[in-house]
Amino acid sequence: MCHQTVSLAARHLEANGIPTVIIGCAKDIVEYVGVPRFLFSDFPLGNPAGRPHDPESQAFTLDLALRVLESAPAPRTTVQSPLRWSEDPAWKLDYSNIDRLSPEEIARRRAEFDRQKEIAKTIRDKPAKAQ
Amino acid sequence: MTDREEGFGFAPEDDAPIPYRQRIRDYYQALGYGAPYRWAHYAEVPFAPLNKPLAESRVGLVTTAAPYQPGKGDQGPGAPYNAAPKFYTVYSGDSAIDHDLRISHIAYDRDHTTAEDSNTWFPLPQLRRAAVARRIGEVAPRFHGMPTNRSHRATIDRDCPELLARVRADRVDAVILAAV
Repeated sequence: MCHQTVSLAARHLEANGIPTVIIGCAKDIVEYVGVPRFLFSDFPLGNPAGRPHDPESQAFTLDLALRVLESAPAPRTTVQSPLRWSEDPAWKLDYSNIDRLSPEEIARRRAEFDRQKEIAKTIRDKPAKAQ
Repeated sequence: MTDREEGFGFAPEDDAPIPYRQRIRDYYQALGYGAPYRWAHYAEVPFAPLNKPLAESRVGLVTTAAPYQPGKGDQGPGAPYNAAPKFYTVYSGDSAIDHDLRISHIAYDRDHTTAEDSNTWFPLPQLRRAAVARRIGEVAPRFHGMPTNRSHRATIDRDCPELLARVRADRVDAVILAAV
């Protein structure tokens, strides 16, 4: 949802003359929406700006994003960061992978999802306060 | 490894970007929810060229992270999904100071990252360093927080125009958007 939100926001800013670059980790979602410039890090969701406790990777990622911003020749420019999350790509098989969950875990997650949805609804329906 | 692949140095078959749309579709269907989510999807993509060198540009930052809110449950690091700190209107913060932003309201990868280091999702300190190093002209006076909403209408009709108004008021030349 988060990648869709920033993709829609980038499109809206660009359509109004403001250049953008997205940094993110969900390549298919961003490219499916369709955005001008995207620096993709093939990292677990939550790390669009570099690896945790690794300032060098964070500096590298921001600089690469700035390079994408200044040099993209056309819309739908995706650059993939050369940084690797780990040598072993096995982490990619875990995220929301239904084949790896027991029926009990699926039931637990459904109940938890419904509970969180109710909480979100309560916040959403509250009158907005200015910030 | 098959004979055919041997010696070519191919990466493992699964070592490719995760197909999130497919994963999420299968996941929620298995959980028992009905019609799959319809993701936003466009054939045309707008493109605004950068009009001046970055070293002379004012650069803004947009995040989907939420300010830490005491009393709203575990917000991490390592918190389970927590909808309580979610927000539904655009918010803004002073770029000159540090902020405690969290991502417990977002479905990030809880198996493989713990959300301990906010510099991995909110590169404001890094952006300030880029300004000091003259890589960019300056950091915009405010950063902005975008609500993540399943409703396309809420995002497109309400939140995007609000973000544009704020970014325009900041007179930015370019914007970095960090997706968690």
